[in-house]
Amino acid sequence: MNILEVERLCKAYPAFRLKDVSFVLEHGYIMGFIGSNGAGKTTTLKTIMKMVNKDSGTVRVFGQDFDRSELEIKQKIGFMMGETDYFPKHRLGQITDVVRCFYPAWDEAAYRAYLSRFHLDEAKRVDELSSGMRVKYSLTLALSHRAELLILDEPTSGLDPVARDDLLELFQELIEDGDKSILFSTHITSDLEKCADFITYIKNGTILESCAENELIAKYRLVKGPRRQLDTLTAGMVSYRLNAFGFQALMQTAAIPANAELMVEAPTLEDIMVYHERKGEQTHESAAV
Amino acid sequence: MKALLYKEFKLVVNPLFYCVALFSALILIPQWLYFIALLYFCFMSAPNLFTLSKTYKEVYFTATLPVLRRDVVKARLVSLVVLEVLQIVVAAVCVVLKLTVMTTPNYIFLDGNLAFLGLSFVMFGLFNIVLLPMFYQTAYKIAMPAILATVVSVAFAAAVELGVIYLPAVADLFDGMHTTAAHVITLAAGIAVFAGLNIAAYRVSAARFETVDL
Repeated sequence: MNILEVERLCKAYPAFRLKDVSFVLEHGYIMGFIGSNGAGKTTTLKTIMKMVNKDSGTVRVFGQDFDRSELEIKQKIGFMMGETDYFPKHRLGQITDVVRCFYPAWDEAAYRAYLSRFHLDEAKRVDELSSGMRVKYSLTLALSHRAELLILDEPTSGLDPVARDDLLELFQELIEDGDKSILFSTHITSDLEKCADFITYIKNGTILESCAENELIAKYRLVKGPRRQLDTLTAGMVSYRLNAFGFQALMQTAAIPANAELMVEAPTLEDIMVYHERKGEQTHESAAV
Repeated sequence: MKALLYKEFKLVVNPLFYCVALFSALILIPQWLYFIALLYFCFMSAPNLFTLSKTYKEVYFTATLPVLRRDVVKARLVSLVVLEVLQIVVAAVCVVLKLTVMTTPNYIFLDGNLAFLGLSFVMFGLFNIVLLPMFYQTAYKIAMPAILATVVSVAFAAAVELGVIYLPAVADLFDGMHTTAAHVITLAAGIAVFAGLNIAAYRVSAARFETVDL
């Protein structure tokens, strides 16, 4: 069952456009939403949550149209924009007192359990918490109202490697029982290799890929070889880099010819993203070669 | 809606804003411009409420909650109205004292009477109808809406005071330390205008906020 269906979402700003953004998140999985800074990740998530008004397109959550059932759907969504940085001088307890009122399904026992698990002190003020603790507080609020879909915008940026690893483990733990799904945006692709089941990749407001992580990796290969082979590899090439030994290119797996001079290996998500992002520059560089 | 109001008064409305209502006691100063006592709300409470809300990034916090945008506007309007009514309630207590104990009339400006309270309601209604729709065009720019709303309120108060000084018909209608039918009608009409302007402010603001990209 699809928990989130985004279809042909469009939003135009004077200097940026989301173009027909479509993807689907299945129930009980983690989807990583990747893209470089300014690619449209936050705009997409805000548009899904109606913080930004879409020009066209539809968003369905739990099978319901978001526009028609906004209140009902939001009861089951935990949405987090980066770390908690609102009400910096208020104590956690004060904020919780307010948040609790909005959710009839609030689970006080779960809230207390997460506070204790994350070592969060309700008497502390928000600005006394580290970045990691703020993310954990936001998650505590989301999990305490029994959110079934967590939409998290850059939850790991700003965290140290240990805190990041901790958080990613928690994500995996959360989906273990199968009743929660997570969509989280990041530009730190190594986070996704640790926990994401599906990847959606956005570039300049357009979705380039949206599939299972292993499918995405299988779709591309890193190809290395001498420069003289470069001209023979035009079809299916995303972009390439020249180095002292020859070239290194990202190619679609299906387009790689059998050639003894070429070394082929599996790319990382970072490779896929970096070579796609270089695609615009490639023409110019190509001409110079 | 109840939860949104709880959020407003628990997280956004600073307890010091209630103290601003005490400035209404300045009405007890003899021979003064009594509207100034009420205008402290426009000078202090309202702009600070919006500035605090902006500093706290309250609009983003609220956007993550299961609420409709029009209810967010309604809750903010109700917060303002509560503070304004509080300001007028303190003024009303002082007006009663003026009418019963400190009965010396104001020889130059409008007397502290029921008509003054009615006109104060109109002044706050005008403040809200300028402030809220302008603010909810962006949901973050507060300086210009606050300045314009204050200018309009001060201009209204100045017009009333000048009318009382220079136009005998206006003075006959609103001035005087003895409660007349005109004073009572002005109070009732003032409350009605206040309600009407607030409903209009809500409708326009809610429609504008719906189109804002956060």
